[in-house]
Amino acid sequence: MSKKEKLVIIGGSAAGPSAAARAKRINSDLEVIMFEQGRFISYGS
Amino acid sequence: MQDIDVLTENRVTKIDPKEKRIEVVDLSKSETQWFPYDKLIIATGARSRRLNLPGSNAKNIFTLKDLQDGIRIREYVDENKPKQVAIIGGGFIGLEMCEAFKTRGIETFLFCRRDLPAGNLEREISERILKELQENSVHFLPNQEPIAFHVNSEGEVTSVETTKGEYPTDMVLMAIGVIPNVEIAREAGVELGKTGAMKTDFVQRTNLNDIYTAGDCCEVFNQVSQDWVYTPLGDIANKQGRVAGENAAGGRVSFPGVVGSAAFKVFELEVAFTGLGIQAARQYGWDIDSQIIEAESKVGYMPGSKRMLIKLTFDRRSGRLLGAQMAGEEGVARRINSLAVALHQKMTINEISKLDFAYAPPFSAPLDPILIAAEQATKKIRRSS
Repeated sequence: MSKKEKLVIIGGSAAGPSAAARAKRINSDLEVIMFEQGRFISYGS
Repeated sequence: MQDIDVLTENRVTKIDPKEKRIEVVDLSKSETQWFPYDKLIIATGARSRRLNLPGSNAKNIFTLKDLQDGIRIREYVDENKPKQVAIIGGGFIGLEMCEAFKTRGIETFLFCRRDLPAGNLEREISERILKELQENSVHFLPNQEPIAFHVNSEGEVTSVETTKGEYPTDMVLMAIGVIPNVEIAREAGVELGKTGAMKTDFVQRTNLNDIYTAGDCCEVFNQVSQDWVYTPLGDIANKQGRVAGENAAGGRVSFPGVVGSAAFKVFELEVAFTGLGIQAARQYGWDIDSQIIEAESKVGYMPGSKRMLIKLTFDRRSGRLLGAQMAGEEGVARRINSLAVALHQKMTINEISKLDFAYAPPFSAPLDPILIAAEQATKKIRRSS
């Protein structure tokens, strides 16, 4: 069994979540992990 | 989002591009761990710039960048019922917050380094913004910068001292721009551009293998100036993020860049712009001329018709449109988009003046304000050549 490819995203405001959602849609086998230092994601103004 | 692991309160402190791993601190447990990656996207955003002055760390000095900041400001207002606020900075955030504070019944003082608010915009537009501030009883304090915040024994600012005087206040909002969060990237060897933000290309790669970037931490290509610039805006971040995500997942898409469009609202006034202002356009070497007009947003007899200002900046030699700025109480923010299209297509003002725009009395005059402006600009070139 091959190991899943890992995509790591640093930051969960605007660009991070957009990237995560897009990547997963393009390749659903991808393991996507998003790190955010704050308590919220998609919090940008 | 489906099947995406989201780890909040986890700060990434190091990127190790050789071993392809990142160091993460779980802030709730203060534990440090290394995580491996195959592909990495750096979307670390930006943070509010703060002035480093005496009293700068007082607890009633705020910045506004994200949800948490907004909650903090609202809670302070709810609990402390400030009567006066000092806003430092006449940019978009400062201007938008004038309305927010006034809505809460707080006397608002706006301190500005320059003589007019939104100093990056054309003078006539900034003057219209100033009028809107004055009509809404905002105290505008031009040509001064804070030099100290005077703090009481409870650690609260009680007055702002500027280069021109001392002003009592119950709270302070610093709205003087943002700084890209590039520290961990730079340490890992990611190249920065001349703007100080991360360098990227049309597919959102960095100079390091398998590392992409998107959003307020990186630069973006401006199609008008043909230059990589720093334009930290949420819509751009979203678009770059989608491209970075798709390419990191094995796709092949590109982000061709921006023309520099944005809009904001100051009380009842809509302000919108696209492309370059006169000064920027001149710096890039064009032979600049400009045309400003005032026109009605609808046919004059329609209820709710308002005056709007349109200023076009163009190249005298080719007639190519280089930028547009607008201000008015109605029909401004959406209207700018047709000029953004014109910039993308490198259209001349003569071509713009002949565009077939939709017309009905509730929406515009038979000659749309944009068409009037473009026509007058075209005449101006003809006269001078």
